[in-house]
Amino acid sequence: MVDSIGVESQDRLSPGVSRVRVFLFIGLICLSVVWIGSARAESSPAAIAQGTVDQFHAALNAAIEIDKHRDRESALLPVVQGLFDVPRIAAISLGRTWRKLDGGQKDEFVQLLTQLIAATYAGRFSSASDLEFDVEEVAAVKQGHVVRTQLRRDEGKDVSLDYLLHDGRIFNVIADGVSDLSLRRADYNSIIKNEGYVQLTVYVRAKLTQARDLP
Amino acid sequence: MRCRAIVLLMGGLLLSACSTLEGPAYGVYDPYESSNRTLYDVTDTVDQAVMIPVAKGYDVVVPNALQQGVLNVFQNLRGVGSGINGFLQGKPKAGLTDLTRVVINSTFGVGGLFDLASRAGLQNQDEDFGQTLAVWGVKRSRYIYFPFLGPSTIRDLPSALFRGAVPGLILGRSYHWSVTVVDVVSSRANLLTATGVRDASAIDPYAFTRDAFYQRRQFQIYDGSPPLDAFFDDFEDLDGFDEPYEEQESAALDE
Repeated sequence: MVDSIGVESQDRLSPGVSRVRVFLFIGLICLSVVWIGSARAESSPAAIAQGTVDQFHAALNAAIEIDKHRDRESALLPVVQGLFDVPRIAAISLGRTWRKLDGGQKDEFVQLLTQLIAATYAGRFSSASDLEFDVEEVAAVKQGHVVRTQLRRDEGKDVSLDYLLHDGRIFNVIADGVSDLSLRRADYNSIIKNEGYVQLTVYVRAKLTQARDLP
Repeated sequence: MRCRAIVLLMGGLLLSACSTLEGPAYGVYDPYESSNRTLYDVTDTVDQAVMIPVAKGYDVVVPNALQQGVLNVFQNLRGVGSGINGFLQGKPKAGLTDLTRVVINSTFGVGGLFDLASRAGLQNQDEDFGQTLAVWGVKRSRYIYFPFLGPSTIRDLPSALFRGAVPGLILGRSYHWSVTVVDVVSSRANLLTATGVRDASAIDPYAFTRDAFYQRRQFQIYDGSPPLDAFFDDFEDLDGFDEPYEEQESAALDE
């Protein structure tokens, strides 16, 4: 009943109104990222870590309301740029190869990875059901903080999501014990070892295109 | 016949315990990578051609509630083994929880179709003999990709094989091969989301699957709370990543 009402009301919206709504979402997300950035100066490291994760969850909940993948990705891109430590993710993912890259190559890879992360979240959080995140613990660990959360789902089991942060920015998300960063590192290093860095960038671009082909 | 099967399985378990004492304490250990990759490719071809279409069909045709019920039934059948392994790991509370679950779900839950025990706060402890060996000190083991069974290690292989044999052992004469077919199809359907994430993310699905398997086992061995510092330890060698780099020709990266 609720779903059918939702669909009907969406059908009645003109393309212009729909576009305005998308821009409003993106604007709100950008504003809140800026707000988090200014609040950092006044908070403790643990509060900053939790604030970052709260902000990310709010952005996912906002993005999930957006119909088109490309628009969700556009909404999430500034969030990933603001809340994720993408240069650290890139460095860890590439291992020793990172040190061999020049500044331009590093910038290019970070930009590519930022887009891929935003596109991946846009693809994974696309169904129109509400997400409920519970923060269970914020703890200081070696080199940073961990924010332990639970993703509550109407269907299926809850998912344990642990965020690892360095200097208040997310660099690793561990879902039910499986680390996103470890997987990326294993995946990328296997390609670098067998086919080289240049070929890896070709594959990462192909993955980005594949992610953007989603509805 | 059933006794002989149990003796063989126990022999396999002991053999696996003895054969896993080598290898590094931490990290993926894959000395058979070449043959493992071949087996992965063969299994993946069959999976794409047969298993995924069948599992997707099952997912479309069978209502979600019934899918969950089928998963519950097989989980209930494996509850006794999970309970015994809880005790073997020195966790009597976990062992008792699993055995109580089996009693509640087998009776009030209509043969395990409804997981009433979880609603009563008794969660599945999901223990197996591979985890028991890990608790006993066999931390890491050689990675093997077993055809049509999936990722495993020598330490975990006997319990993975035992997992498949459980319905036959529990049901005895009333067992029919179709039970195993339903078990396999419903398990594959339950993994569709996970393999979808792999296909969407992985550039090298073999390396991705192997790393995910090791991490998932670590998560199970530590009952959902692996030491987080290990994640930082893994990345420590990269800590100076923002130091000035030495300019090199990009061609050298492919060496």
